[in-house]
Amino acid sequence: MVTCEAMRTNRRELFAAALGIAAAAQSRGADDPVAIPGKRPLILHNDRPEDLETPVNLLQSYLTPVDSFFVRQHLLRPSPIEPEAHRITVNGMVGKPGQLSLADLRKLPQFTVPATLECTGNGRGFYSPKVPGIQWGRGAVGNAEWRGPRLGDVLKLVGADPKAAFVEFDGADAGLMSTPDFVRSMPMKKAMHPATLLALTMNGESPQIHGFPVRLIVPGWDGTSWVKWVTRISAAPEEGKGFFMNPGYRYPKYALPPGTPARPAELEVIEGMPVKSTITAPEDQSKAPAGAVAIRGFAWAGEQAVERVEVSTDGGSKWRDAELVSPKLPFAWRQFRLDWKPPEPGFYTILSRATDTAGRVQPFVPAWNPSGYLWNGIDRVGVTVEKTA
Amino acid sequence: MKMICAGLALAIMAFAADQATIDRGHKEEQRTCLPCHSLRLIHSQRLSRAAWTKELDKMAGWGTKYQDRDALLEYLVATYGDDKPAIPAGLSLNGK
Repeated sequence: MVTCEAMRTNRRELFAAALGIAAAAQSRGADDPVAIPGKRPLILHNDRPEDLETPVNLLQSYLTPVDSFFVRQHLLRPSPIEPEAHRITVNGMVGKPGQLSLADLRKLPQFTVPATLECTGNGRGFYSPKVPGIQWGRGAVGNAEWRGPRLGDVLKLVGADPKAAFVEFDGADAGLMSTPDFVRSMPMKKAMHPATLLALTMNGESPQIHGFPVRLIVPGWDGTSWVKWVTRISAAPEEGKGFFMNPGYRYPKYALPPGTPARPAELEVIEGMPVKSTITAPEDQSKAPAGAVAIRGFAWAGEQAVERVEVSTDGGSKWRDAELVSPKLPFAWRQFRLDWKPPEPGFYTILSRATDTAGRVQPFVPAWNPSGYLWNGIDRVGVTVEKTA
Repeated sequence: MKMICAGLALAIMAFAADQATIDRGHKEEQRTCLPCHSLRLIHSQRLSRAAWTKELDKMAGWGTKYQDRDALLEYLVATYGDDKPAIPAGLSLNGK
């Protein structure tokens, strides 16, 4: 959104379009399954706007294909954007305010960063007592190669003032009625990090549903920081004050007893993500033939790299190291594997626990918090090993 | 025995919202929620009366104009209360 008038027009159009869709939606069952263009069948938490979770059995490859990648939208997706007409307004504490085109961004050196993108609320559904918000399970996460210029190079190009402590980002999406606009800001230090990009592609593609033609990539930080359809970049002396910075996406400084209300003065902006692992095979509550069971999964650790993944096949009594089969990098997940021979038939509880290069270890019990963010409990699947025929 | 049953029925009626109110709440959901987002967002959650009240307050702040807010709250609590079993979200159809 560039001007107030443009914003009002945009919102009016969006609202009119939404009413049309709403009328259509009433004529069928509100919870009937629908198809999301470009996506294979994914866990459908919401369709307008799209909130889709990847079933973890589709997360078996190092890079997650775009057609299986989870989707989280706060607001309705903007109308299709013509890439060559797209402009990013740069203003605030910069020497050369103005507008950047994709051609301007393509002229800068291009970098590829493999990084794991995870919804801040991935795993919210596991917290007890329940908290409001999309009840994500284990699959609001994916790993991709993001490519584009460094945000730091863009900030240098426009002469960002070194005294600007924060950079604020707005995207082309807008809230209906008085729903707040999705605007985020981050410290200049993270903005200048060489891995922070204005990506033009994801695994070589530019899918609009994932925020292209230009998406902010903030490796190691929660998905909320990765602003889609970037339309404005502002250098500022202070952190942004919009709803999605405060009270949205904050986490208690001091852990709260489960079920108790937030203390607003003690909530902090989330920066970075915890260490975590997810088992992708065997599938939870599945049956496995006697013999060898392939235990597979991935682990990631925000701005750190994964050092170790341990697996237990007896509910946590004994642990052993899984083999790590992809590069040890910050930001990107590492795949792990363990081929296990069950000693006898029966039901087994398989657990995974990751440790990162900073020494952080996945907990048994993640800290409950009022918005259900940053779930990183030891992962768990149950499998029934059948008797040999 | 009949007396006890009648007493129990009265007690339940006193605590549970009546069907007419729930039906009105369902209509209010169609009228006020659906223009901005699909209803899965609501139907996938299981929240306490206090948490649903807070959600309705939030949406009022974001521009929702309720005509029958009390009925909407009763409908949400009766249908998607935290004492109701959660139904896991299903898969979307193939969009490829």
